[in-house]
Amino acid sequence: MKANVNVLVLTGYGLNCDHETAHTFELAGGVPSRVHINSIIDESISLDAFQILVFGGGFSWGDDHGAGVVQAVRMKTNIGEKIIDFINKGNLVIGICNGFQTLVNLGLLPGFDHDYATRSVALTYNDCGNFRNQWVNMRVNPKSPCIFTKGIHTIELPVRHGEGKFFADEKTLLRLQENNQIVLQYATRDNQPANKAFPDNPNGSVLDIAGICDPTGRVFGLMPHPEAYHHPTNHPDWTRLKEISRRNQKPWPPETTMGLALFQNAVNFFS
Amino acid sequence: MPNQLEITLNPDLADAEGQKIRQKAKNYFGFELTSVRTIHVITIDAHLTQEQLAAIRSEVFTNPVTQISSYSPLPVDFDWTIWVGYRPGVKDNPGSTAVEAIEDQLGIELAPNEAVYTSKRYCIKAENLTYADVDKIAGELLANDIIQQWRVISVQEWDKLIGTGIIIPSVKLDYIPAVTTIPIDSDQTLQKISAERNLALNPNDIPTIRSYFLDPDVSAGRAEVGLSDPTDIELEYISQARSDHCNHNTFRGCFHYSDRTTGEKEVINNLFKTCIEAPTLTLKEKKPWVVSVLWDNAGAGRFDSDHYYVITGETHNSPSNMEAYGGAITGIVGVYRDPLGTGIGSKLIMGSYGYCVGHRDYQGELKPHLHPRRLLDGVIEGVKDGGNKSGIPTTFGQVLFHDGYMGKCLVFVTALGIMPAKVKGMPAEQKKTSPGELIIMCGGRVGKDGIHGVTASSETFSANTPAGHVQIGDPYTQKKMHDFLLEARDEGLISFITDNGGGGLSSSVGESAEYAGGCQVQLEKVPLKYEGLNQWEIWISESQERMTVAVKPEHLDRFMALSYKHAVESTVIGSYTDSGKLHITYNDKTCAYINLNLMSSGFPQWQFDAEWISPETRGLTEPVIGEPRDYTALLLDILGRPNICSREWITRQYDHEVQGTSVIKPLVGAERDMNSDASVIRPVLTSEKGLAFAQSLLPAYSAIDAYHMTSCTIDEAVRRLVSVGADPDQIGGVDNFCWPDIQFHPKKNPDGKFKAAQLVRSCKALKETCLSYGIPLLSGKDSMYVDGHLTGPYGETRKVSGLPTMQFSATSIVPDVQHCVTMDAKIPGDLIYIVGVTKNELGASEYYEHLGYTGSHVPHILPEQFFPVYKTLNQAIAQNIVASAHGIYRGGLGVHLAMIAMGGNLGMEIDLFQVPSDGVNRNDTLLFSESGGRFIVTIDPSHQETFEKMFLDFPCAMIGKVTDTGNLVIHGMDARQILSASVQDLKAAWKRPFGDLI
Repeated sequence: MKANVNVLVLTGYGLNCDHETAHTFELAGGVPSRVHINSIIDESISLDAFQILVFGGGFSWGDDHGAGVVQAVRMKTNIGEKIIDFINKGNLVIGICNGFQTLVNLGLLPGFDHDYATRSVALTYNDCGNFRNQWVNMRVNPKSPCIFTKGIHTIELPVRHGEGKFFADEKTLLRLQENNQIVLQYATRDNQPANKAFPDNPNGSVLDIAGICDPTGRVFGLMPHPEAYHHPTNHPDWTRLKEISRRNQKPWPPETTMGLALFQNAVNFFS
Repeated sequence: MPNQLEITLNPDLADAEGQKIRQKAKNYFGFELTSVRTIHVITIDAHLTQEQLAAIRSEVFTNPVTQISSYSPLPVDFDWTIWVGYRPGVKDNPGSTAVEAIEDQLGIELAPNEAVYTSKRYCIKAENLTYADVDKIAGELLANDIIQQWRVISVQEWDKLIGTGIIIPSVKLDYIPAVTTIPIDSDQTLQKISAERNLALNPNDIPTIRSYFLDPDVSAGRAEVGLSDPTDIELEYISQARSDHCNHNTFRGCFHYSDRTTGEKEVINNLFKTCIEAPTLTLKEKKPWVVSVLWDNAGAGRFDSDHYYVITGETHNSPSNMEAYGGAITGIVGVYRDPLGTGIGSKLIMGSYGYCVGHRDYQGELKPHLHPRRLLDGVIEGVKDGGNKSGIPTTFGQVLFHDGYMGKCLVFVTALGIMPAKVKGMPAEQKKTSPGELIIMCGGRVGKDGIHGVTASSETFSANTPAGHVQIGDPYTQKKMHDFLLEARDEGLISFITDNGGGGLSSSVGESAEYAGGCQVQLEKVPLKYEGLNQWEIWISESQERMTVAVKPEHLDRFMALSYKHAVESTVIGSYTDSGKLHITYNDKTCAYINLNLMSSGFPQWQFDAEWISPETRGLTEPVIGEPRDYTALLLDILGRPNICSREWITRQYDHEVQGTSVIKPLVGAERDMNSDASVIRPVLTSEKGLAFAQSLLPAYSAIDAYHMTSCTIDEAVRRLVSVGADPDQIGGVDNFCWPDIQFHPKKNPDGKFKAAQLVRSCKALKETCLSYGIPLLSGKDSMYVDGHLTGPYGETRKVSGLPTMQFSATSIVPDVQHCVTMDAKIPGDLIYIVGVTKNELGASEYYEHLGYTGSHVPHILPEQFFPVYKTLNQAIAQNIVASAHGIYRGGLGVHLAMIAMGGNLGMEIDLFQVPSDGVNRNDTLLFSESGGRFIVTIDPSHQETFEKMFLDFPCAMIGKVTDTGNLVIHGMDARQILSASVQDLKAAWKRPFGDLI
């Protein structure tokens, strides 16, 4: 019998995408548990039992002092070492939206030279000056070591954030490029680089960066929400796509979705 | 020694917030600002060492990549700087989370008298601004003086070392709380005291209240616990329970209705019972899916055999009118507690909004407290923060501009939740309290928030008086509580749950005690935000984010352990009894002792005179308009009208996809920018079933007859649901009435009788239309007094009343979400059908309004004719033979053909001669009449025969084809081409008013 791939989805303190994230991992073949941050801190639940750790979307601590900042403080001061151990054991970590913001504030990303403590990139206020919910097209870097995006070339997902503008200094950006740590970049509807143009690049991220990974490819952070595209009817054009498929005698609905595919890659990594 | 940390973005990073302020200063006041930089200020009133201060600065409050910070004023360049902070007692949410972060980082706990406050400093570079200009920016753009204070400092006055100075907005009430007794020697005395203390007792209630306290049996019982005359807390309790807000005295009133033209008279005793309760109970008998209605915080319908959905709607008009952001966020976060307090607790699954405000570009001579543009900006932002931070998708919303709402804006907020049908084998929609169970208050603490609502705004402020009446919802605290309570529910720990909203503990404990038959509350146990609250203030405070829960003593330990895990404060404040009394003590001394059945005994019913004056008697006639020659220009102009045009900027600010349930989004179409008829979610992720939701608002028709306003509004909501594929036989409704004052007064409200008659007619239409369509009213609310007195150019005040408005929310089941359709044309060559009859019904239409008329031919709804058509369309959609479906709503056929073309980014060729009509002989009537019961449907030509067969017995005709030309082309009744516009031009016109807003 194949061993379970156990997925820990963090909850509590204003996090809010835990149900659909757990559901999507279940569809992907994982065994998800929704676990309150405090249950790890008080050791009633141990990270040792898990292979995938998910920092999900939401508004932890209301995002009051910069998105993900207070969550990172709490995690670092209480279980910082345990998380680094978890990574070093070869496990996977994904940070989605608020989780990505937390990963960069923890310093788990970009994780140059196994330094999982230094903050060297930031996710700051959108250039458009507001929270925004829209779908984006992204190009996947085929040379990236990222486990989650293996075999995927382009991807469509929704963004829902007010602080998603990726920012770093030139030196850091160069290093990210050299290491192929830039995993996802915003693109136009026909998958050309967005070149910072709004709304294809919804937040003004430098180099159109939507997601990065650490040098091992096992720690991955992205602003868009893969868990919000786990069902064909999540796609904004699905009624149109359905009609076109039917007229062309093509099957509807499709068997999988892009969001689900990311999570399947993660689960399959362990099998 | 307090310390003040200033944080700002690196100088080379764009400051999006500052940029927005710059733009607004230009748009609102015409000020040209060179630059605006924002500085976040954290004032730490706690004993921390230099090392500790350094640690929290670098590890918590400063991002090394994007920010700089300092404990002395940052040297950001400016000509003027404006500091804006909260007034004492106003909820400072970031201040609270800052405390959590500091405690985590340093591993310490702050002392009770230590605190952290947040504020902002804006650095403005601008030439030629005066102090008065900058003060205007501060007072009218950056701050609201009800909740905030500010200082304006010029560069010349600026002291580089001291900066703004340190302002600690802590609440200091040098006051020993006390219970006072109130003499009741005469009705006059009590009336006088009621007025002095803002008790707002109704004069007609006063004899009943006095006779209760003078009753010898009551007096004897009170003497035993040491009471004689009523205490302030007792009268406050009675006042809250008898308020129109809690008791719905208007809707339960007796209406003496007469028709001035016919002389007919009628007495309607209790609009709620006759027009809402009776039809709903009748329908509940016929519709087994109706689970729970008319008693709980929200109504419940069956989603599937294992789940019930719950729904309720609220308004938060007066608070939003005073403080748009605070009012709106409190409104949305508040309505989200209703499903949480329904049954033994429901998980929140979606929300929606409806805003009625003055025109955004209003330039008239009246001066509302907040200009409509600023008010709308604040309301949008409040619902954004409240909804998004709650993790609940906002999937639907409407905005309506009319200057009548400048007297008072309307802010509708609606909430849906879902509960398991059973928890631990017990029905989850049922609940009760029992003697011996503990009363637990969960969530936030109690302050002076919301006491006596807006009456407090007239009190003078001092530096340390709390801005009591204004509340700012805290979605973060509530989200933690939501997660905690659902976990407690699933473990079977909750016997009863309800929220603390209007009336605070007074309502939640008072009402929940009725099930057990009594309660005993130890008021000193209630956790407070600050000391110095009177007992009556603790009892009626409307401090937010609180739920009242009944827990059996044997479950207490587990309940408190879960509460601790979720970082939620929960406190036992008393217990339920069977004493028949509401018994409140403070440090063992009784301060209230009232028979629980007092509220259900002998209070007089409110009386209203209602006089209907028919449109004819009022002199309304159809206008005399010759047929237009330039239909293209006319259509483009109507598409750009504020109530028709795109408001994408609002929709995109609201997270409508969180929870992963999204099926039909608020924006659809090839370019994902058209308004969907309804939204659909899949609230149970493992199920293919959907829940459709739509709302409608058509107050313009009230100018002719509120009866037809109401029936048209309901019909529109029904068609919206049918258009996406929802089942017409499982529609549940929610009525939200917002009406001007209906109590006649010769001077203050001379047309009160007419407004009362409009309300009666509206309620009759509600009853008749819901019975005909088979819509039980799962929930509903009313908010009266939509009036304001605005100052004019000569210092005079003018009463401005809102249109009689009823928002109707409707929800239904979609058996399989894969069958849903959207409104956008899909593929060139598809056939376009119109379903339903177009009549000469231009009265109060968008077309007439555009030309400056009202008219008299308001649309009439004929449910018996319409409903079979809706059922047939539903079957066609379920059989996958419909490519797109869209109702014809405000603006009529012309506007909605344009919407479908824009949705598909495709052309259409239309022949008006084919449109089924009745008594219409003009193109403008066909294009702009707002007759109900109509849809536009596009289909694959291969389905033509099947589709036409299904609609054989109904008014339905093919009126054209979808084309790949990119042009909407319309031929008139005489076959001549009367309109041609490219989809790009249509869209440009439709997006022109607000297209630049983000």
